[in-house]
Order: sequence, then structure tokens, then C-alpha cells
Amino acid sequence: MSQQHKLYVFVLLACSAGYIWLYYHISKHFSNNTIGEVCLIKSFTGFPCPSCGSTRSVVALLGGNFYEALLVNPIGYVLLSGLVIAPVWILKDLLTADSSFYNFFRSTELFLQKPQHYVPLALLVLANWVWNIAKGL
Amino acid sequence: MDAQKVDMFIMTNAKYFEGHQLTFIRERLLELDDSHWMLLSTTSFQDPSTNLIISVIAGSFGVDRFLIGQVGLGIAKLLTCGGLGIWAIVDWFLIMKLTKEKNLEKIQKYMY
Repeated sequence: MSQQHKLYVFVLLACSAGYIWLYYHISKHFSNNTIGEVCLIKSFTGFPCPSCGSTRSVVALLGGNFYEALLVNPIGYVLLSGLVIAPVWILKDLLTADSSFYNFFRSTELFLQKPQHYVPLALLVLANWVWNIAKGL
Repeated sequence: MDAQKVDMFIMTNAKYFEGHQLTFIRERLLELDDSHWMLLSTTSFQDPSTNLIISVIAGSFGVDRFLIGQVGLGIAKLLTCGGLGIWAIVDWFLIMKLTKEKNLEKIQKYMY
């Protein structure tokens, strides 16, 4: 299997897992059950990780509460756009025998390997992490 | 390349590659001419054991994937709490093999 197909299979599987997780979470949310802890960092240290709360954020987004989603964790916006865009883009690529998603993925990787691009993003994630700890997610 | 040099390279760097790849690497290096020796001997490799430790400690942040150059997957891992914790655990078992593959890729550009 080529690198491109490996990536497509992986992303589709990851997105399916994401949707299953989201469905599970929403159904639990509606029945008012407690949510299981899956984050390794939070389970071991008790402190939230940079992306803790992103499920709550995505659920808030799906309910139309955009401001609440931003307050819980802005990463929810990135994840939801990824969950929506990636499968559609990959299916379009598979149907038209194109490799635009793979090319985009590779060029983004090359773009992010430069310090002037990854340092600001790393600082953003770090700031979000500090905010998460301060919020006590 | 001189057999003595190749054997020295293999002995020093054996831990950075899969055991079954060593014979192939040795054969290919023997066919190379001596001009590649300087580049080859100054190439730095990543230690699979170090990456395993990093994966266990900071795998949920995707640091192990960033280190082997897979920035895209590293970000995916970082933004999803290490793939809901599952991917982080799976990577404890994959990262050494992936690091060794990455090291092989590094010297493959001299081999062909």
C-alpha cells in the first residue's frame, strides 16, 4: 500500500473513531451520565492536557453554543473542522483518483518543520494548556 | 567502500537499525565509493530507546511523532489527547520500529 493510501485509511479510521466517540459522548450527555476519563495525562497527574475539554467544546459547538465552545477549549473548533473536512476531501480524492489531500498534508508538514512557523503554534498550544490548568478542566 | 570502514560503521550504529536490515545495509555500503564515507560517518541517527522513553512520558503530546519528522500525525495526536489515550499506548509499541525505519531512510539517500 502506498504512503498516500496508508494516510487515507488512517485518517478515515481516526475520523470514524472520532464520530463514534462523539456519538457515545452525546448519548451519555443526554442521559446525564458521568463521562469516562480517557486522557492519560489527566489520569496520571490530575492536571488537564492541552486538548482536555475538546469533546465538551465540540458538543457545545454542535449545540450552537459557539462562545461556550471557545471558553471550554478553542481546539474544539480545529477538531470539528478536521472531522468535517477531512473525510469529504478524502472521499472526493478517492472518487476522482486525485491526491490533493495527500499533497496538502505533505506541504503542511514541510511548512511546519520551519522554526518560524512551529514556534508560534507551540506557544499557542502552551498558552492554551496554561489556560486549561487555570480553568481546572 | 572499504570493508573495514563498513564494518566499523555497522558495529557503531547497529542499534539504530533493525537486525534483519544490517546485512542489506552492509552489502549496499560495500558497493559505494569512498567519497560517501565522510557524509555517512557524520550522519546522526535517533536512538530508538530514547524515543521509547519520550513516547512513554510525552506520547500524549505527540512529541514522539514530531521527533521522527511526522509533524502532521504529531499534531493530530496532540489535539486529540493522544488519540483518546489509545493511540498513545499503541505508539509505545510502534515507536522503536518507526525510529529505525526513519534511520534507514536517512542513509538510503547515500545508497542509491
